[in-house]
Amino acid sequence: MLFSFSFAEDVTIEVIKKVDSLPSLAVEDSSSSYDDTFKKRFFKSLVADMNVLSIFNVDRHYREIPFNDTSVLVANKDMNYVLRYKMFKDDSGALNVGMKLLKENEIVLNKNYKVSRKDIYMFISHAIAYDVNEYMGEPSVEWMKRKVIFSRIVEPKRSEIVIADYTLTYQHTIINGGFNVFPKWANKAQNAFYYTSLDSKTPTLKHVNMKTGALKNIISSDGMMICSDVSEDGKTLLLTMAKDGQPDVYTYDVNTNKYSRETRYNGIDVNGQFMSKNKIVFISNRLGYPNVFSKKIGSSEVEQMIYYGKSNSTCSAHGEYIVYKARESSNAFSQNTFNLHLISTKTDFIRRLTATGVNEFPRFSKDGDAIIFIKNYMAQSSIGIIRLKHNKNYLFPLKYGRVQSMDW
Amino acid sequence: MKNLMLCGVVATLLVFSGCSSKDPVVDAPTQEVEAPVAQEIQDVATETVSDEESNVDALSMSDLEGQLSSVYFDFDKFDIKSDMQEKISASATIAKTTANTFSVKLEGNCDEWGSDEYNFALGLKRANAVKKALVAEGIDASRVAMVSYGESNPTCSEKTKDCWAKNRRVDFKLLP
Repeated sequence: MLFSFSFAEDVTIEVIKKVDSLPSLAVEDSSSSYDDTFKKRFFKSLVADMNVLSIFNVDRHYREIPFNDTSVLVANKDMNYVLRYKMFKDDSGALNVGMKLLKENEIVLNKNYKVSRKDIYMFISHAIAYDVNEYMGEPSVEWMKRKVIFSRIVEPKRSEIVIADYTLTYQHTIINGGFNVFPKWANKAQNAFYYTSLDSKTPTLKHVNMKTGALKNIISSDGMMICSDVSEDGKTLLLTMAKDGQPDVYTYDVNTNKYSRETRYNGIDVNGQFMSKNKIVFISNRLGYPNVFSKKIGSSEVEQMIYYGKSNSTCSAHGEYIVYKARESSNAFSQNTFNLHLISTKTDFIRRLTATGVNEFPRFSKDGDAIIFIKNYMAQSSIGIIRLKHNKNYLFPLKYGRVQSMDW
Repeated sequence: MKNLMLCGVVATLLVFSGCSSKDPVVDAPTQEVEAPVAQEIQDVATETVSDEESNVDALSMSDLEGQLSSVYFDFDKFDIKSDMQEKISASATIAKTTANTFSVKLEGNCDEWGSDEYNFALGLKRANAVKKALVAEGIDASRVAMVSYGESNPTCSEKTKDCWAKNRRVDFKLLP
C-alpha cells in the first residue's frame, strides 16, 4: 500500500486518467452587456482555464440562459457541474462578472469579480478557475495567477521585454527599444526583475524595481552575462559570465555584490539552476556535447545527471525533478526535433513530456505542479502548460514574434 | 544612441479575496481585481559624443569595417576552419595598420537551432576563437572586446542550410 502510494506521487510515472471518469462540467453564459465576439472570447478563455484544471470533462458548447433561472439548461441537466456567469458593465465602464457553480441545481459556489477594463478579462477567467479548483479541494493552482516575463526578438539586435498572464493572452510590453534579453523575476512577489542589456560595449545585468520604477546596473562581463536563476529567498543569483571569453557559472550575493566561480571546465558551462539552497544543476559540454550536470555550491565535484539524449542544451529544476530539452535528431541540414523530458534524481525513470516539433524554454511553476514551455510545430508557435500529475499538455497559440527567453 | 523606452509596469494584477459559500447567496460581495498600473521608470543614462568628431570617425570606421570579413563556422563547432584562417590574417593586418587606433569588437552568432544560454555560449566561444587567432597574429588582447548574440542577430532568415551556415559566424566591428 505504501509502496504504490509513493509511486503514485512520482511525477516521472505517467498517470493515465480516463477522461470519462472525470466529473462533467458545462459553462452557461448569462451576459447581456457585451457583443457576441467578446462574449465568445470570454467563454473560450473560461473553458480553456477549466480544462487546464484537469479535474473536469468540460463541455465546449456555448449556451445562454438567464442568470437567475433556478434550474440549469435542459441540455446540461446530466452534467455533474454547471458553471454559470454573467458579465456586465457598471457605470464606471468596469467589467463585472458574477459567477455561480451549480451541482444538481443547487448553488455550491457564488462569487463576483471586477476589472477596470474589459481587455484584461482573462484575469477574471483565471480567477474563476482558481476559485473553482479551491472549492473542489484540489491542490492549489496558484501558478495560474502568476505572471510570465519573456523577451521577444522583433528584428536583428532589437527586442522587447513583455509581461503576460500564463496563457500569454494578455501582453504588456514593459521594455521596448534596444537589445535586451534573458529576463528573470527577481523575487517570488514578481515585483522586480533582472535582464541582460546588450546595447553597451559589455553585456550588463540590470535590475528593474517595478514598484519604484528604479533601474540599476548590477554587474557586467565581457562576452556573456546572464542571470540564469534566482534563489528561493532572492538573495543569491546564478549567473553565466564569461571572464576572459570562458563561459562559466557563478554565484552572486545580492547583498554583498560579491561573486564566486562555481565551474572551471575549459569549455562551455552555462544555465545554472538551483535544485536546493546548496545544490545546482547546469549545462556543460564537458563530454563533447551539451548535457546536464550537478554540483554542490562551493565543491568541485561534478555529477552527470542525464544519460539519455544526444544534445541536452537547457534545463529547469525543482527539488528532485529536472526537466530538460533533448535534441532528438542531430542534423545541420534539415528540421530538428527537440523534446522535453522529465527525470527524478531519486529514480531511474525518464518521462517524455512532448512528442513533436521544437519544444523549448521549460520552466517549472514555483510549486512544481506544472511546467510551462514554448512549442514550435508546423509553422505555429504556442505556449504549452504541462500538468504533470494529470499527464496532460495544453497549448495556447502565440500571437506573434519569436520568444528569446522566458521566466514564470 | 541607444533608445531605451520603458513603457510601463504591470503591478499586481490580481487580488483574490472575496467570499465563497456553499449556501446560495443573493448578494455576494464583489471582488475587485486590480488593473495593471502603468508606471514610468527611470530613463537610461546616455552620452552624447560631439557630432563633428563622430562623423569623421564614423566614416573611416565604417569604411574599414567593410574590409573586415566575417568568419564562418561549422554546425555546433567553434574551431577555426583552415579556409577561414586567411580571412582572419587579412583582418589582423588591417587591425594592426590602418585601423590601429580602434578597438575591435567581435560579435559571435549562431543559427536558429537552439535559443538558450548554450547557444549564446557557442557564439561566445566562436568569438573567443577568433580573438585568440588575432592575438596570435600580434594584436594586443586588450584591444579586443567580445559579445555573443546567440541566434538573435541573423543575417539570413530563410530555412535553408545555406542560410543557417551564414548565421554561424563572427562579425568584426570597430569601436573608437
